[in-house]
Amino acid sequence: MFGAGAMTNSIPEIRDADLLFVIGSNTTEAHPIIAMEMKRAVGRGAKLIVADPRKIWLSEIADHHMQLQPGTDVALLNAMIHVIISENLYDAEFIAKHTEDFDSVREATLTTTPEWAEQITHVPADMIRETARAYATTRKAGIYYTLGITEHTHGTDNVYCLANLVLMTGHLGIRSAGMNPLRGQNNVQGANDAGASPIFYPGYQRVDDPAAQAKFEQAWGVPLSPDDGMNLNVMMKAMAKGMVKGMYVMGEDILLSEPNASNIEQGLNNIEFLVVQDIFLNETTRFADVVLPAACFAEKDGVFTNSDRRVQRVRKAVDAPGQARADWEILCDVARACGYPMPHYANAGEVYAEMAGLVDQFGGISHERIDRDGGLQWPCPDPEHPGTVTLHADGPIKGKAPFQATFYRPSEELPDNEYPLLLSTGRTLYHYNAATQTRRSSGAVARQPENFIEMHRKDAKKRGFVDGQMVKVSSRRGEILARVNVSPRMRLGCVWMPLHFGESNINYLTNDAGDPITGTAEYKVCAVRVEALEEASAAE
Amino acid sequence: MNQLIETTVVLEIDGESVEVPQGETVLKAARALDIEIPVLCHDDRVEPAGCCRMCLVEVEGQRRLQPACTFKASPGMKVRTDTERVARHRRGLLSLYKADHRLDEAGKPVSRGVHDMLADHIATYGTGPELEPVNAPRVSREHDTNPYIQFDPDACVVCGLCVRYCDEVEAVSAITLLGRGSATTIGTADQRNLLDTSCELCGGCIAVCPTGAMTEKPSLALPTEQIVRSTCNFCGVGCQLDLHVAEVPVTIGAPASAKQTKRVTRVTSPEPGTTVNDGNLCIKGRFSYEFINHDERLKEPLIRGADGQLHPATWEQAIARVAEGLHGVKQRHGADALGFVSSSRCTGEENYLMQKLSRAAFGTNNCHQCAAT
Repeated sequence: MFGAGAMTNSIPEIRDADLLFVIGSNTTEAHPIIAMEMKRAVGRGAKLIVADPRKIWLSEIADHHMQLQPGTDVALLNAMIHVIISENLYDAEFIAKHTEDFDSVREATLTTTPEWAEQITHVPADMIRETARAYATTRKAGIYYTLGITEHTHGTDNVYCLANLVLMTGHLGIRSAGMNPLRGQNNVQGANDAGASPIFYPGYQRVDDPAAQAKFEQAWGVPLSPDDGMNLNVMMKAMAKGMVKGMYVMGEDILLSEPNASNIEQGLNNIEFLVVQDIFLNETTRFADVVLPAACFAEKDGVFTNSDRRVQRVRKAVDAPGQARADWEILCDVARACGYPMPHYANAGEVYAEMAGLVDQFGGISHERIDRDGGLQWPCPDPEHPGTVTLHADGPIKGKAPFQATFYRPSEELPDNEYPLLLSTGRTLYHYNAATQTRRSSGAVARQPENFIEMHRKDAKKRGFVDGQMVKVSSRRGEILARVNVSPRMRLGCVWMPLHFGESNINYLTNDAGDPITGTAEYKVCAVRVEALEEASAAE
Repeated sequence: MNQLIETTVVLEIDGESVEVPQGETVLKAARALDIEIPVLCHDDRVEPAGCCRMCLVEVEGQRRLQPACTFKASPGMKVRTDTERVARHRRGLLSLYKADHRLDEAGKPVSRGVHDMLADHIATYGTGPELEPVNAPRVSREHDTNPYIQFDPDACVVCGLCVRYCDEVEAVSAITLLGRGSATTIGTADQRNLLDTSCELCGGCIAVCPTGAMTEKPSLALPTEQIVRSTCNFCGVGCQLDLHVAEVPVTIGAPASAKQTKRVTRVTSPEPGTTVNDGNLCIKGRFSYEFINHDERLKEPLIRGADGQLHPATWEQAIARVAEGLHGVKQRHGADALGFVSSSRCTGEENYLMQKLSRAAFGTNNCHQCAAT
């Protein structure tokens, strides 16, 4: 956006913020330790603004909770931008010096008044005005977001809107401010950094850039393809259509984690060859031709890179069970068996050194240095460089950051007569993603043994449901069972389900429509119907 | 620079001069001089309470000893931590605590938790007169079925640090000081099971407890032989963990192939102020390690046979089958009919190698990872 895909600021800066704008992030459940920093800031007197369709924990201590209709973020944010421009609260000096195309945003938001947005988002116009003013006039104001922003067919537009807010108020390159995507998994940042991407080599070097191609061809000793690959969303659809015939899946249960699971199941049935490398059998291994047993994090060496670009060590504490081996060792053996002369790395540190030699931002990072000094935040170009706490301190890395005009459009699949409720999905505090690990933990199981659907009391009453009743949830793509959880957190007409339960996999319901740019699927909005079980079986 | 001078004060501790920001406590000033003042109820992450009285020091002009953790430094202040009066106070106080604490056979205070500060202080500062055991009528919640957190009232000094952490840092206020006088204990509203309170099982109470009255149930009988610093494998915060490791007998009934006798027996956070998590962990980081040693872990390569079932195989057989399978697809349909799904759960090195395998060994950019969607 401004030149690097990562949190612009650092986690320890949060406690000193004067305003926190948390949007599309249930931080206390998904990132509990970052939430502790936020609680600390609020305890110190920082203003907290939460935008979330649900009454989440943080909204209870927030100054303002904008309880918007799911999928209407662009309307909300463009209205905030409208207020900031019409009341002259923007940072003209920063805009002139560090950005371009501000006029495109000014034009696009001429008519996006808070009153217009109230119709779409159901957030009171006055609250939109107040929060916009507070955000624009506070210097140490940081934006924190996660998949509630990106898991939409307009996810990229949502991110552009937030970037526009940051740029027009000059909240960039200052401590405790910035634009901060909180990464969902331990090493999302590191996986992207390492080039597990259809369009980037390690370090965000484009595969269609001839100079980058030449560099990696020379390093790896083979000709490389300049054509963009398929992103995961496209890959899953191509598999269902029979265009992807062979797959190597490491450390993901794609059948449980990817949207529109029926479609994926069909693809997996048709695929010619599937190898799965993991620590437990899972839903996907049912289709595998070969299953390779891997070591877990406590059984191997390497690095994880966290949300604030901090490269930290993973160290072997115990032996892997049986014949299980570290993923990096298996990958090297597979590559050699496939005829590629992968070097005989003596340890994970040598693999890191090879990558760091090919990426300027990581050039100063090594296992030895992390072992000596602790985690290092990239960019860290040479062994004397201390790492970078706050990005863009001297203006945007890429020079002038462009504004991107956006226009509100509704989510792909909205409730109708047949499927009258709007379903969003997400993570809970106690479980983690496909839950292969947490469902084997006694505390998590004691707290949340099975799947549930959170629902407004009026929606439950209308259907004659009582709390704890088992119901059938169906969408145009599939159906599952779950228990009703009548919840004061929900908006009328909206339901919410967690994503952790294999036997009640919400991805049979979710829509695989992807964002046009990133391919990220719309996990946060689809239309469902909820029925009592007897009624459902009588109808069949 | 002027601003800096105006907002600092110079004081003297044990004859040494130190400059600290205005409003700083005597305890922090002493730390700046590397002068050790013992504490029980203090933690930098919560507001000082001054209730354990362990940190009392002599301040010139003050008739009584003053708690270093709450007493603010002022210009020209003269503090002594090394006098006989302070030493006598510490010994007397430790005698009182010892009389109200479960002791082992050697007469040493018992702790089964992370810290054993009462025993440490007694070893360093000694005790005064031997007192009759108090046998305070503090109660625990025997019926509490939560799987992780145990409270042991005989090892509690009622400093309330766990309660303050729960209020101020985790901010869920699940536990509270309950009762009066010598019966004061750590409890919950109506002494409910922790699972029926606002508790999020973060285990912060265990981490801060100075005397090990709060402990991890799963780790109670397990030793620590080695500590390995690592990074949590759950969300993207990047909390640093100390994995406690010990030789533990192989679980009865485990397959003979299970060579794993070294196990992770406990997880703690590095000291506050040293890493990104500032001494904190959540339920997943602190407690969700049972999966590591779970019986259902994959222990050998599997190949699907003609009967449609997965069968154990050697690594040589499995890797050869993978190479043959991937090459077969490439030959029949081209490299772009292959997809490589890497993982945001795996290390940076492994992601690097997966994309290198996809690009260099097979010539396709069809490589992505789970977190992208």
